[in-house]
Amino acid sequence: MTGPVSERAPRPALERRREWLRPGLMALVAFLAIVGPGIITANVDNDAGGITTYSLAGARYGYTLLWTMIPVMLALIVVQEMCSRMGAVTGKGLADLIRENFGVKLTFLLMVGLLFANLANTMAEFSGLAASGEIFGVTKYVSVPVGAIFVWWLVVKGSYRQVEKVFLVACLFYISYILSGLLARPDWGQVARHTITPTISLRPAFITMMIGVVGTTIAPWMQFYLQSAVVDKGVTARDYGYCRTDVITGCVVAIIVAFFILLTTGATLYEHHIPINTAEDAALALKPLAGRYCSYLFAFGLLNASVFAASILPLATAYSVCEGIGWERGINRTFREAPEFYGLYTALIVIGAGLILVPGAPLLLIMYASQVINGILLPVVLVFMLVLINDSGLMGRYRNSRLFNFIAWATTILVSALTLALVVTMFIH
Amino acid sequence: MLFFAGYFLSAMLDKPVRDRSGRPLGNLRDIGVRCSETFPPVSKILVRSGRHQEQVLAWDEVRTVSAEAITLEKERDQLAAIALGEDECWLVQSILDRQIVDLQGRRLVRVNDLELAQLGGVVRLVAVDAGSLGLLRRLGLERIALGVARLFGRQAPGRLLSWEHVMMPQPTSEPLQLSFGREALARLRPADLADIASQLGAPDRANLFRSLDEETAADTLQEMSPRLQVSVLNSMDDERASDILEEMEPDDAADLLADLPEERADDLVELMEPEEAAEVKQLLSYPEDSAGGLMTTEFVALPQNLTADQAIARLREGAPDAETIYYVYVTDESGRLVGVLSLRHLIVAPPTTPISELMIKDVISVRADANRDEAASLIAKYNLLALPVVDEQGGLLGIVTVDDVMDAMLEEHRPRVGGLRP
Repeated sequence: MTGPVSERAPRPALERRREWLRPGLMALVAFLAIVGPGIITANVDNDAGGITTYSLAGARYGYTLLWTMIPVMLALIVVQEMCSRMGAVTGKGLADLIRENFGVKLTFLLMVGLLFANLANTMAEFSGLAASGEIFGVTKYVSVPVGAIFVWWLVVKGSYRQVEKVFLVACLFYISYILSGLLARPDWGQVARHTITPTISLRPAFITMMIGVVGTTIAPWMQFYLQSAVVDKGVTARDYGYCRTDVITGCVVAIIVAFFILLTTGATLYEHHIPINTAEDAALALKPLAGRYCSYLFAFGLLNASVFAASILPLATAYSVCEGIGWERGINRTFREAPEFYGLYTALIVIGAGLILVPGAPLLLIMYASQVINGILLPVVLVFMLVLINDSGLMGRYRNSRLFNFIAWATTILVSALTLALVVTMFIH
Repeated sequence: MLFFAGYFLSAMLDKPVRDRSGRPLGNLRDIGVRCSETFPPVSKILVRSGRHQEQVLAWDEVRTVSAEAITLEKERDQLAAIALGEDECWLVQSILDRQIVDLQGRRLVRVNDLELAQLGGVVRLVAVDAGSLGLLRRLGLERIALGVARLFGRQAPGRLLSWEHVMMPQPTSEPLQLSFGREALARLRPADLADIASQLGAPDRANLFRSLDEETAADTLQEMSPRLQVSVLNSMDDERASDILEEMEPDDAADLLADLPEERADDLVELMEPEEAAEVKQLLSYPEDSAGGLMTTEFVALPQNLTADQAIARLREGAPDAETIYYVYVTDESGRLVGVLSLRHLIVAPPTTPISELMIKDVISVRADANRDEAASLIAKYNLLALPVVDEQGGLLGIVTVDDVMDAMLEEHRPRVGGLRP
């Protein structure tokens, strides 16, 4: 399974531009050509589930969990950077590499786990869409089908470039959380103090919340999606520098958004001791405390995040399953060229959206099961990644340095331990 | 010589490897082949004996491969460890699980399994299993999948691609490329499939047939020896067997039915479509060693009142099913054979000439109850491609083609399995 690193042909469009642009401007254009996968993946991290967790963390513990954002950001960068590097250097997705290096059985188990966990997550996104729609007075029987048809149509009919542009615009809408955070008028002195000084309480509920924040930020599907998107975009080893900037920018922006969500509920709901259970509760409770606009911005953020993630999660699943089996894939293909890829994408959206509309579907149980599967998958995926990225036949001079390996292993062990702890606490409750 | 029945790679991996006296050496981890040939011959094996102990041995050292174990020619201490040559590659390491793309570079599937079989006395890599059946086999779910497929009356989706269509680029990180597009996804030709199937053990052979569609299965079956045809048909349920018989040439189907126990043959004919069943029944009514037993009913016969261009038009409609169209037989109103035309005669004649003027009236024919040796000698004597078979009144029943005669003759003179005939 080892072979020389393939330096794939550079993209001609970029090449042509390089000829006539001045160096500084050229670098910017090159960056803009590469930008996308990293920013998109990191932002989808703040999906319906993520927003709920951050809202709860803020509402229950005020600013005391703000400090966790910095280590979580570093962990996210370390993990995501490795994926995009593998994608750029090998030209293969993570599932591709796992099938070729770890055999069919492990790949198959991983795919089954991923399929289920991602389906459950997709349902969570559609339920986020239903909830935010209802804040604006739209019944879920309208919002969910419309959202589902929109994301289906977008990916099936659009090219990679078009789809990516829409996703990048969706990333821009996350600014609504920053605005609602500002409208919540937090005590900036307190915020700054809690951001840099870690507070730890040994109360079980606090620990669970902390683990939840970490667990929701690094999920298995992200590694698969990011690497596949880097490959689908055609990034090569020589463009890798821009790719890294993309990933780091994405992680920083995503964490800033998460930070502001925590801040918003911390400054309002926590101060007034208003208990909430969902992101929808949070949006509604904001109205009397921080005003109509703050509430609407918060709800709009949830709506945007849900639709966005309801497209990315099925997409990530379709990519990884097709890579594992070897089927044709990619947004630039037509339905006829890659029937399995689009078939899976369609099925996940139909089932995910459909189950939300079925009265009495055991949604809570499915969500818990998906959390458990994610918790079990994540350590496995991270360890696979570390083995692959240190394979010199695969990565050549792009493999991890010793220092980076130390950081990466430490991150992997810490994140895995916390995620498994989350699974355990869920069983206890 | 090594007896090798043909295996899927997945079935061979992890088999215990033993030396001549049966002492365990380790387990089979990989198989090396010489990649430069069209069907790469197996040349090395990799045996793992401990956690970090691996040994490369020459394939020549292997004496037998059975369902339980691989046994070597020599004793454990006589074995010489060697290295993999430059033109050789490992199947598991370099080929299994690799991406397959078509001629245009579009991804199809991954290498789910590989099939090894003896071709020309040498064990070779012959085909890639690109179907989901191969995938399920690797996962250890093949039996369950076949059971489920049978439950729903569907055939399990198998897909064997002949290795001759596979191009293997050198850096093993690149995908394997097929020499054709996705649309023209050529499978093994029936004659090749028959060769491979003939070398497989009965269970593997049954599996192979399960993966074929009815038409391919029928074509493949026709290429196999009568003994194996019976064995294959016995492994199938009546429904599928009768579907395959319908797809076969009526004479081949009748021959095969004649070799089956009478009760099963009757059951199968009952299940066939009425039209095909009637043809087969008629053929079955003749003794196997008679001209009637050898003939096929798929021939072209035209009424004598047609003109040349009408005859050509009729050929266009009726010819696709006929076994030969080089000879066109002419019959009168009561179906009696009155003449024969060659295709050449028809094409070069002026379009409006009645065929009764073009035909040769003195037709060489044979009675259905005549011995098949008589049919063979007539074909040989007059250098015919086909010989018409008639009843007592001279009514045309069928034709005996030269290749059917050759098959029959070869069958008679071919050594039986288990030794030469005296």
